[in-house]
Amino acid sequence: MNNTELIIIFSSIILQASPLIIAVCGETITERSGVINLSLDGTMLMAAMTGFVVALKSDNVWVGFLAAAGVGMIFALIIAFGSIRLKQNQVAIGFVLTLLGDDLSSFLGQNYTRIPGPFIKKMAIPVLQDIPVLGPLFFDQNLVVYFALVLVALTWWFMFRTRPGLQLRAAGERPAAAFSRGVGVNRVRYLYTILGGALVGIAGAAYSLNVKLGWSDGHTRGLGWIALAIVIFGGWSPIRGAFGAILFGATKSLATVLQRRYPEVSVVAFNSIPWIMMIAVLLLVSSQFTDWLISVMPRRLQRPLHQLLKVSPPMALGTIFEED
Amino acid sequence: MKAPSRQLSPLLRIVEILLPFLATLAALLVGAVMLIFLGANPFEAYRSLLEGAFGSPNAVADTIVKATPLLLVALGICIAFRGGVINIGGEGQLVVGAVMATMVGLSFPDAPGWLIIPLSALVGFAGGAFWGGIAGFLKAQFNVNEILSTIMLNQIAVQCMNDLLRCPMIEPVQLQAASRIPQTARLAQAFDLPRLVPTRLHLGALIAVIVAVLVYIFLWRTVVGYRIRATGLNPDASRYAGIPVKRYIILSMLLSGGLIGLAGAIQVFGVHHRMFTDGSATGFTGSAGFNGIVVALFGQLHPLGAIPASFLFGALLVGANKLQRAMQVPAAFLTALNGLVVVFVVGSEFWRRRWSRLRRTEAMDTAAQSIGSEAESEVKA
Repeated sequence: MNNTELIIIFSSIILQASPLIIAVCGETITERSGVINLSLDGTMLMAAMTGFVVALKSDNVWVGFLAAAGVGMIFALIIAFGSIRLKQNQVAIGFVLTLLGDDLSSFLGQNYTRIPGPFIKKMAIPVLQDIPVLGPLFFDQNLVVYFALVLVALTWWFMFRTRPGLQLRAAGERPAAAFSRGVGVNRVRYLYTILGGALVGIAGAAYSLNVKLGWSDGHTRGLGWIALAIVIFGGWSPIRGAFGAILFGATKSLATVLQRRYPEVSVVAFNSIPWIMMIAVLLLVSSQFTDWLISVMPRRLQRPLHQLLKVSPPMALGTIFEED
Repeated sequence: MKAPSRQLSPLLRIVEILLPFLATLAALLVGAVMLIFLGANPFEAYRSLLEGAFGSPNAVADTIVKATPLLLVALGICIAFRGGVINIGGEGQLVVGAVMATMVGLSFPDAPGWLIIPLSALVGFAGGAFWGGIAGFLKAQFNVNEILSTIMLNQIAVQCMNDLLRCPMIEPVQLQAASRIPQTARLAQAFDLPRLVPTRLHLGALIAVIVAVLVYIFLWRTVVGYRIRATGLNPDASRYAGIPVKRYIILSMLLSGGLIGLAGAIQVFGVHHRMFTDGSATGFTGSAGFNGIVVALFGQLHPLGAIPASFLFGALLVGANKLQRAMQVPAAFLTALNGLVVVFVVGSEFWRRRWSRLRRTEAMDTAAQSIGSEAESEVKA
């Protein structure tokens, strides 16, 4: 395998990971504000279907993306309304919406399966694409990939370097304290749940219009759950989340390459790798193992390693806050 | 002093009890609109739905047969949810239980049925328990989110099932045939679960109802069941009270997965008499692993409430099949209708709980007021 081949593989990994990156950013924003949107799998299916069909009818991919974002916002609004206004369990609402999105997308999309439609054209960035290695990897892609990459930086900057971002995190960490400092906690939660939902919707359309073109029954099934797991792996940080999404894509294409090279090994081993890896990753992140790992490291490395590896969910994640 | 009226008006109480059914009706109403758009007469469609579910002894038997796995899954879900573990791995546990039970049946084709049927039910239980137990262990020991781990385990179970059915367990005939349908050979006739009446109704339904009663007794009349519920209600308080919370989390997942695995075994020995796959889990399970969650919520997470809930859902599934055949609507309409019922029923459950909470706070307010006015009159005196 020579260098060009490796570069082609890696640039396709980044392309494949771009919808996951967008979804992870959206869900990270939502969960940082204290709301779990568990409906990712259903939302992405509905958004992928809607995005494709609308783009097909209007012959304009961007209208498709808009429609998909709208679908994501509607699902998120239901979650936000159910948990904030009706004070119900977010996990239950999210799960039911997952089932509904799955069923509804196969019902509404049944006439549009396996037909060619519009998709996003490649758009290289003039000067930057000539940089060796980095050029073909990051700057010879299309707008959706650029959007995903910019979104990661933008989300991080917004959450950790701006005042509204601080309020967003405060609503998810200590809603009572935030409220007493004048933050409208539930208003903030509504806002970012819906914003996160819009991004998840865009991620769905990024599949059907960019990565896995077209629509088929259960087009993106399972990827929403992967995104939810990556949010945890990413420690509710967009940069680590994006890293996790790319790592996931890399493992998947590594499995494909290995499968081609060793056809005698059963397919099940390769198909299960991403899922087993996700469990292993959750295990690694959630257990005490990282604590132990940090404690055996040289003292000077402990602080940076702690910042790098240690994650904890937003303290008020999934809880209901009553403003009174 | 006047006694504060804490009673909800009788009309509202009736509405509250009937709420899940009203929700189902509302979902069917939305379905009717969809039917009109599909160019079908909704009245005729729903008549054929009712006919399909209850129209003849055979139809009723089919409904009960469909309700059986739903009931067992719902019972497993009840135990897990009551223990504070959100088990979404029903599909995977069902598949593992079914595959393991099929293996037992295929391995001893000449053994007597009275030996193999209980044995394979036991092995199915153990398989499901093992698969559920993994998630329980990871949650208890390493704090791994069980919603995500059970979903991942579902996918792994499906991959394993596909691989087993395409190669080692495939029916020998299919190996020669070009189509190579991924299914096992039919199990020996001696292993068929006994029929209760001359319809498709098999022993499994009776087993499921007995298990429902047993689960009720277990959760509400035994110490272990009490501890599971205590763990679910407040893990911290339970820990201070000396309950080994981790052990009970694992136990509730073992039992939950076990009952769902048993459902898989019963599906194999009572209905299909073989194992097959369409590449996803739903081909074999018919989404029972997910629908069982809805049935459990419908039955308000009570083992006995799950019995009528599963019957209603079974009726809906069987009737909808008949509706589809009679009206020539696309098959996807059924999944959409199913999804609608799920959303409406679970949604109504939210409203019910909200009402009861409102009523509680109202009652507390009036109580507080009456105490206040009493104190006031005392001061005046």
